[in-house]
Order: sequence, then structure tokens, then C-alpha cells
Amino acid sequence: MPLIVRDHTWTQNQNTVYISVPLKGVKTANVHVICTDEYLKVSFPPFLFEIFLFGPINEEKSEARIGNGVAVFTLQKRTDELWEQLFTNIDKDKQKHIREQAILKVQEKEAEKSKAKATRIQQEKKYALETMMKLENEERDRIQKMKDEECAKATAQLDFWRETQRKTAEENENQQKLQRTGTNNNQLVYQKTERANATPAVTLLHNTGNTTSGQISRKQKPKDLPAPRSAGCIKISFTPRVFPTALRESRVPEEEEWLKKQAEARRAVDTDLAELSDLKEEERNPDWLKEKGDKLFMAGNYLAAVNAYNLAIKLNRKIPALFSNRAACHLKLRNLHKAIEDSSQALELLTPAVAANAPARLKAHVRRGTAFCELELYVEGLQDYQAALDIDPHNVALQADTDKIREIIQGTT
Amino acid sequence: MSSTLEKPQIIAHIQKSLNYTVFDSRWIPCSAKFVCMGNFARGTGVIQIYEIQQGELQLVKEIEKAKPIKCGTFGATSLQQRHLATGDFDGSLNVWNLEMPECPVYSVKAHKEIINSIDGVGGLGIGDGAPEIVTGSRDGTVKVWDSRQKDTPVVNMEPMEGETKRDCWTVAFGHAFNDQDRCVCAGYDNGDIKLFDLRNMSLRWETNIRNGVCSVEFDRKDINMNKLVATSLEGKFHVFDMRTQHPTNGFASVSEKAHKSTVWQVRHLPQNRDVFMTAGGAGNLHLWKYEYPAQRTKKDADNVDMGVAGSVNLLQNVTLSTQPISSLDWSPDKQGLCVCSSFDQSVRVLIVTKLNTV
Repeated sequence: MPLIVRDHTWTQNQNTVYISVPLKGVKTANVHVICTDEYLKVSFPPFLFEIFLFGPINEEKSEARIGNGVAVFTLQKRTDELWEQLFTNIDKDKQKHIREQAILKVQEKEAEKSKAKATRIQQEKKYALETMMKLENEERDRIQKMKDEECAKATAQLDFWRETQRKTAEENENQQKLQRTGTNNNQLVYQKTERANATPAVTLLHNTGNTTSGQISRKQKPKDLPAPRSAGCIKISFTPRVFPTALRESRVPEEEEWLKKQAEARRAVDTDLAELSDLKEEERNPDWLKEKGDKLFMAGNYLAAVNAYNLAIKLNRKIPALFSNRAACHLKLRNLHKAIEDSSQALELLTPAVAANAPARLKAHVRRGTAFCELELYVEGLQDYQAALDIDPHNVALQADTDKIREIIQGTT
Repeated sequence: MSSTLEKPQIIAHIQKSLNYTVFDSRWIPCSAKFVCMGNFARGTGVIQIYEIQQGELQLVKEIEKAKPIKCGTFGATSLQQRHLATGDFDGSLNVWNLEMPECPVYSVKAHKEIINSIDGVGGLGIGDGAPEIVTGSRDGTVKVWDSRQKDTPVVNMEPMEGETKRDCWTVAFGHAFNDQDRCVCAGYDNGDIKLFDLRNMSLRWETNIRNGVCSVEFDRKDINMNKLVATSLEGKFHVFDMRTQHPTNGFASVSEKAHKSTVWQVRHLPQNRDVFMTAGGAGNLHLWKYEYPAQRTKKDADNVDMGVAGSVNLLQNVTLSTQPISSLDWSPDKQGLCVCSSFDQSVRVLIVTKLNTV
């Protein structure tokens, strides 16, 4: 419960009331004043001073001075009259009502003040922004003006130059005309002087003087040009690349894939088969076996070659050359179905189709095509020969074979 | 701010929109006129002559021909005659007298496919020797023509038998410092650059810059070859120092990546051989200056001379259009004046200022 202060003093005149409230030792910072038009409350814990004023006052025009241990309030009356006493006696409910109103009013005022402050800040910001923009615009205009000046200067120079060009062109023409008439005069005078036979040297000199002046900017004699060059031919070749295409045409992703596959095939040696335990070291190498197989094929020993290739394939299923060569062996042995299977396997391994594996694919297609034809499946054979021809359009033997197959098909249908 | 305004400025002085696709534009020497070559939408070729008058372009003459025209040069005619040599889409080389364009002065079916690039040397009072024209075509051959010899080229650079041919995209003359020596440099679409010596009738040097070569130019045609700039796809260009050839490493070079798109053209300033402009596929132009190194040659491990490349500085750049700028030509008479044409069917006259202080 705060202590109610009652030892205040007050004086008045027609339009103002002066109230002085002793602060009883409380610091000025802790003094809190609420004042409305009919109510004044000063709270400085633990003290409290409140009065319900006798008459209405103008709160905005009133002022409070807090300091030196006393709070002095100068309240402007609304109506000019002398008050009998400072406060009115009103009942408790009215008091409460007035108190509440006072608090509300104070809150409103605070809200208004903060709003006003906010708008003021925003306006100031806007102003700052506008001035900045104006400054930047000015800067930009200045630069633009300088640029335009440069442009105008250059244009003026250009026009001037063009005029001088034109003038020199006209002058040249005039001099040409002069020269022509000069030469005519020269001839006439020469003839005259020949006939007259009088001081030819002087008159001739005079005329040559004219002609030389007309020749200042023109070469009379045409330059002697050297003869046309004797014909030559230079043969050139273009830069080879691993894949002979320009960077922009390169089918690099596919080519990379093919190279990776090759590398993997080299590595995919499957060595944990039981039968291999009794093989010699060199016989475990698929390359060595392939070479063995090739030699046997050339020697004509096709069964042995097939064996070699079988072993190599068991070791490494990923090398297309093994399947392709085994297909060739089967072709020679007339195991046509096996030949077809093997060349199909080889072709599967030879994807993606790039320039690097073109010859291998060519061989595989040709072998499969031959096998089909031997089996009298000419249509499938033609397809394979056609694919081979796509890879190598300039192969004459291939073309001849394809045509033959086509004739056979057309002959039988 | 002042330092940026002391740099050369590229000012678009005049811009004119045309009603045809323009492939090449060239100044007529000793005049304020230039020629634009291209093709109409109806598939015929056109040559138009414009003159600059009071800040505007006036059409002086329009000549229509049967086949679209791809490129042209004044390089091989005398200053008095000023005949224009053009290459068209059909592979024909024609030399026209622009005063009487009905019938060509010289005409030959040079190539089987479109002539991509043409250059001339020996004319315009520059250099010595016979005036010659070189053409490079999509059929992979480069041929040198002399207008006094009918029907057959004086030199033919063609692929060997059985070689897959690559398109030749650009050709340039150089090293024509007396009447015997000449060099032709050709750039191909697989990135090959080949330098042919016409005095010895041989291939003097070749290299590959991995991306198709769009344009090559020597800094001067009529001196002992000094520098060569080659521009390519993917925004790169290379500057080769041509004074010192190493037996294995060839010529020293410095390369620069600019434009972020194909660099379509390079042209050296006629008045200063170390300043050149590159035109890019995004419609932008970059002005460069080459700085020589302290020593242009050095000895390698085996005490053989090899060249040292310098450095390239960007002086200025400007974006003029959204379409590639396909051709660029400096005026030989007024420093800083140039004409450029781009694929947005427009031709622009530009002024580059402050080149005398560069």
C-alpha cells in the first residue's frame, strides 16, 4: 500500500493553478506522473499523490517541473475562474472510473507518439533515399554528357575528313582534265614549232611545265607487275586424333565408354575354375591363347583352334575378338549355328558402335551373314551384309557379295 | 572516373537495318563508302554500296546477282581501279568493277562448294609482287588465283588422296614483304591452322588449336610476318609470335578466352599493328592491345632459338547487338572508323576514339 501524500501546497490565479508536491527524498528518476484533464496522479514509490481536480484543465498546455526534492505542476485552467478548492469530493466509483480513463488516455497518447515517431523516421529515410538517387542520376547524366560530347566531336571530325576527301577527289579530277588538255597543247605546239622551226626548246619546256604540275598525285606509268606464279600444288593432311573428329563433332561419351569397356575386358579374368589348376602359367593368359588359336586357324587346324578359343573364353568372357574368331572357325567347320551364335555374341560385346571398333564389327557382320547364307536364310544374311556395307561403303568385294545375295533372293521369290 | 574515359571508347555512330542477311562489309579504299554483301530472302546475292553523309547512310548503288555472296575483298586491286573480288555460295570467284557490274572483270568456278573466306594481296599500293586472291572453301581446298590467268589457280592446297576433308573456314595472306615471298595461312573447322609458303610451295608450319578456327589474320600483310591472330569457337583466340620458328615447337603463342561465345572475326587496326578488335557471337566487340615481352626470343635446352609470346590487354568492350557480329573492317583512311555487320540484318558504322594515345 503506497503512502498517500497530503502535505502538498497550491496557489492559483485566474487561469493557472500551481501545485507543489514534496518528493520526500525520492530520486527524480523514480517519479511517475499521470495527468489528464480532471485528474492528476504522481507516484513516487513508496509515496502516492492523487487529486481529482476541481475544474478541467488543459493538459497539453500544463507543465511539470520535477527537481530539487519537489515536483511543481503548472496547470492551465480551461475556464478562467478561481477555484474554491483544489479537489472535488467524488464517490468511490467515479474515482475508479476516472482513474481508469486516465490510464487509458495515457496509453493512447503513448501509442500516438510512437506512431508519429515511426512515420517521421520513415519520411526521413525516404528523403535520404531520394537525395541519394538524385545524386546518382546527376553523376550518370554527367558521364552521359561527356560521352555525347565525344561522339559529337568524332562525328564532326568524320564529316570534315569526308569533305577533305571529296575536295581532294575533285582536285584530282581537275588536274586530270588539265593534264589531258596540257598534253593536247603539247602536241599542237610541238607540231607548230616543228613546222615553224623556231625556238622549240623554250615552248616545249613551257608545256612540260604544265603537264608535270598536273601529275603530282598520279603515277603516269603503270607498275610493272611480275608474271603470274607458276602453278604449284601443295598436298595437306589433317591432324589425326585418336578419334578423327573435331572437338565439336566428337562422340566423346561413346568413345570413352568403348575404351572403358576394353579396359575392363582386359581385367576380367576369371581364374577360379577348378580345371585351371592343371594348366601351365602361360595357358592361363587369354591373349596367349588367342594367338595360339589364330596360328592354328591359319595352319588349318580348326578343331584345335576352337579348343584354344574355348579355353580363352572360359578365362575371359568379355573379349569380342575371341568370339569373332571362334565364329570364323565354326564357319570353316560348317557349324553354322554355332558360328551365328558366336558372331552375335561378338557384336553384342562390340557396342557402343564407334569408329575404333568398326573393322571388328565389319568382320563379325560378314561372318554372320555368310553363316546365314549357308543356311539359306538369305534375308537375314542380306541384313548383315548391308550392315557391313554401312560400316565400309567402299569395299568392292562386299558390294559384289551383297548384290549376289539380293539377286538370289529376288530369284527365288 | 576520368581514367575510364581516357580509354578508347567504341561509339556506334550510325546503324542501319537492312532487308537482307549481310555476310560481309568492306570499306572502299580512299573513300567514305563501303560495300555490304549478302543474300536476299529470295535466294539471290546482293552487293550494296553506302556512303556516309551527315550522320546517315545513303544507298549509292544496289547490285543483285544470281547466287548469294559470302565474302569479298579489295585487297588485290589497284587504288585506281578498286575492283571487288567476291566469293559466293556456289563456289564462284568473281571480280567486279562496281561502276559496271553487269559483267565481271574476272570470273572462275573456283570451288565445288561455298567459298567461306577470301583475301587479296599485292593491290592498293601496299607491298610488292603480283596481285593475288586466295579463297578457302567448304570442300577443304585453298586456292590462290591471279586475275591474269584464266580458269586454273596458281596454287592449290588440297587434301591428299583418301584423306577425309575438313572445311576451310578462313584464309589470310601474309609475309609479302618483297615480290617473291608470300605466305597463306588457312584455318579449318577441326582446329587446324596451316601456314603455306608460296615461294617454296610447301607447308611451312601447322598446329591444331582443338576448336574450329573462325578467323585468322596477320597483323600486316606486307612485312616480314610478325604476329598472327587466330580466333576459334568457344570464345578463345590465340596470338602467335611469327618472328621465330622453333623446329619442333613451332611459334610461341598466348591465348585468351573472351566473349563467352564464338569469336567470329579479328581485325587489326591498319594504323597500329598491335591493336586489334575481335567480334563475338553475343554481339559484342572487344578491343585489344598486344604487349611485346622484354625479350622476343630465348634459347631452349638445346640452344635453339625459340620465340616468347607477349601479353594481350583488353582496352575496351561494347555490346552492340544480340546476334553475332559476322564481319568487321577498319577504314584504312581514317583511324578509328570501322564498319561491322551482324546477323540481325543490320550494319553499323563505329568510331573508336583515342586510338592515337593507346
